[in-house]
Amino acid sequence: MTSSEAPNRPRPVRAGAGEPVEVRMTVNGTPVTVHVPARVTLADVLRDQLGLTGTHVGCEHGVCGMCTVLVDGEAARACLLFAVQLDQAEVVTVEGLGRPDELHPLQESFGRNHALQCGFCTPGFLMSSYDLLTHQPGVREQDLPQELSGVICRCTGYRNIVTAVREAQQAHPGGIPAPGNCARRALAGRGTGRSVVDEEPTGAPAEQSAAKAEIVLPEGEPTIAVDVATEVGVGQDQVWAVFDDVHRLARCLPGAELTEELGEDYYAGRARVSVGPIKLAFKGVAHIAEHDRAARRMRVLAQGRDTGGAQTQADILLRTEPAAEGGTRLHAEAKVYLTGRIAQFGRALAGDVSRHMFEQFAAAVSETATTGDAPQGRVKAPGAFRLLLRSLLGRLRRRSR
Amino acid sequence: MKAAPFAYVRPSSLPEAVAELGGTGGGGKVIAGGQSLTPVLAMRLARPDTLIDINAVDGLDRFARRDGFLEIGATVRQRRVEHDPASAAVPLLGMALPWVGHRELRSRGTVCGSLAHADPAAELPAVACCLAAEIVATGPGGQRRIPAREFFSGAMTTALEPDEILTAVRLPVARAGEGFGFAEIARRHGDFALAGVVVAVRVGGEAVLTGFGVSDRPVTTDVSGVLDEAVRAACGDRGRLAEELGERLAPVADELVDTEGDAHASGDYRRRLFRVLAGRELAKAYHRAHEEKA
Ligand SMILES: Cc1cc2nc3c(=O)[nH]c(=O)nc-3n(C[C@H](O)[C@@H](O)[C@H](O)COP(=O)(O)OP(=O)(O)OC[C@H]3O[C@@H](n4cnc5c(N)ncnc54)[C@H](O)[C@@H]3O)c2cc1C
Ligand code: FES
Ligand code: FES
Repeated sequence: MTSSEAPNRPRPVRAGAGEPVEVRMTVNGTPVTVHVPARVTLADVLRDQLGLTGTHVGCEHGVCGMCTVLVDGEAARACLLFAVQLDQAEVVTVEGLGRPDELHPLQESFGRNHALQCGFCTPGFLMSSYDLLTHQPGVREQDLPQELSGVICRCTGYRNIVTAVREAQQAHPGGIPAPGNCARRALAGRGTGRSVVDEEPTGAPAEQSAAKAEIVLPEGEPTIAVDVATEVGVGQDQVWAVFDDVHRLARCLPGAELTEELGEDYYAGRARVSVGPIKLAFKGVAHIAEHDRAARRMRVLAQGRDTGGAQTQADILLRTEPAAEGGTRLHAEAKVYLTGRIAQFGRALAGDVSRHMFEQFAAAVSETATTGDAPQGRVKAPGAFRLLLRSLLGRLRRRSR
Repeated sequence: MKAAPFAYVRPSSLPEAVAELGGTGGGGKVIAGGQSLTPVLAMRLARPDTLIDINAVDGLDRFARRDGFLEIGATVRQRRVEHDPASAAVPLLGMALPWVGHRELRSRGTVCGSLAHADPAAELPAVACCLAAEIVATGPGGQRRIPAREFFSGAMTTALEPDEILTAVRLPVARAGEGFGFAEIARRHGDFALAGVVVAVRVGGEAVLTGFGVSDRPVTTDVSGVLDEAVRAACGDRGRLAEELGERLAPVADELVDTEGDAHASGDYRRRLFRVLAGRELAKAYHRAHEEKA
């Protein structure tokens, strides 16, 4: 039983009232470091600093169970723990349980059994029942109400919740599968806007230089997969003349700005995107992992964080090939990983936005390749209203086809 | 609601921890699991100026059997004790722990933290009293052992000095010919008890009854005489023992149950609950003790 394994002990510390304390923990598989005053709870750190708002807060004194997360493998109240107590701990939140495209069996079962009404208690029930089925896979049906009594559902949907847990248990008699969405990814929140992901994880490939921010893409399926091609009316050599000059290339990216060269093909930059009421300002790092003019291939890894708790990581492959009449066919495949509030976009809309941004990018490359100049000023960030309208129109059109 | 700011120290050794606590001049509080302390801070019912987190202190996670005692260190979590096979040595732990709040609280809450907190309706202080456990405290003057029955001095008040840390509790290991019983009635599982009982019966020895949730601290009394009488009156009829006991325990309930009652249950109701629960558990413990021996 995991309960008898001694977890890593926190490091000694001394801090005055209000003074930030360094806390290192692993959250959903990602090592993070935050600096918080001792009175800040784990629930608040998860929500505010790490953008993991799936952990809900109800009573803030341990009664309602909304904030239940796993700490070192066991369910615990995130509102009854000061984050400073969690130094060296391993935390799993509801975001770590399943992926949007592959929910955890418990999440599936909750959906199937109508075990969520307003959904406020759902993260708490999921984490509590995960803990129960992990430690007591054979728990008897008649004991479920009592075993789940640590979480309160104000919609009083208990009957269906118990059924959902029972069904997940029966479907997995050998034990419920482990959380399916724990992998290294960018985590940032609205509090500081500064990276909280540990940049030098232990066991990372040694060839990375110590000063360099490492870009580690999450494992598993991306949130959005973009695969688009477009034709531009200039030759491949002209296109590659743009690609070869990272400054010109950056200026073709909608809303983007290159702010610093970090060396060894690493670049720091900013990007702005706005869709509807959502305005995101990312700061991040890009790494040109491959630049093969002969093979006409270029691969860029990027990682960005928004101060509002949105995180994005991307693996972009650009290819060119000759097209008719001396033009160039520009091909882009991108795997985009989203977390935080940006993930609320919905996959379809986010995909549309990404595609439109790529079209704008291609148009800008074409322009700068033709004129030999970088576009006048930066390419405008995709406008909120226009982009949304275009996305919606595009979708309507597709549907009416 | 958020806690007011406080300074925070997490020392790595016991002498340091004791020095830190002493250094706060009474303005400091120890935090173990925080499952009782954090809500109190969040509601700003307490505003200590320093918290001394003992979770990095070497040696406080000791959980072992020694000299006829099961020793549980100050940072040993309730859930660990609940599931560790070593706890079988003290059967009452396995009976009482599932009633301490919910699983989610027991993952972090400590056995010793519950004792130090001394909620009159808490299960573990009653277990400690019934078994006549020893509580180990360490202060600037060194270590001392306090009998559990002297440790609880009132609602949320203990014999600990402000500069002392509770370092461990020592619970006597069960021997052959002993039987135990535990029961409580709460409005909902995980809530504090309206009334609860812990009993220990020893063949040819004493029978001890501890009540919780019925006074400002756990209340313990010797019920050997009552048990003997009831056993004689029941004439070997197993089913009748609890009934005989229930009747004979009325004066004991009157004496021990010292509460006016509250919105959840009146004093009279609690007295009745206590008497019925005590009768049933004493009968069970009596039979368990005799079966063990056979
Ligand atoms: C919703 C809810 C329901 C609960 N239900 C129950 C219940 O049914 N039964 C029950 O018994 N408890 C219950 N509790 C309380 C809690 O779970 C207890 O188990 C226990 O009091 C917490 O132990 P801890 O280690 O978390 O102590 P902490 O919260 O860390 O400390 C509690 C107090 O003891 C002091 N203290 C702790 N350790 C030491 C030490 N080593 N030396 C000196 N002082 C120390 C602290 O300064 C503080 O004043 C409940 C709590 C909540 C929030
Ligand atoms: S918010 Fe943590 S238990 Fe209610
Ligand atoms: S579904 Fe609304 S609180 Fe439970």
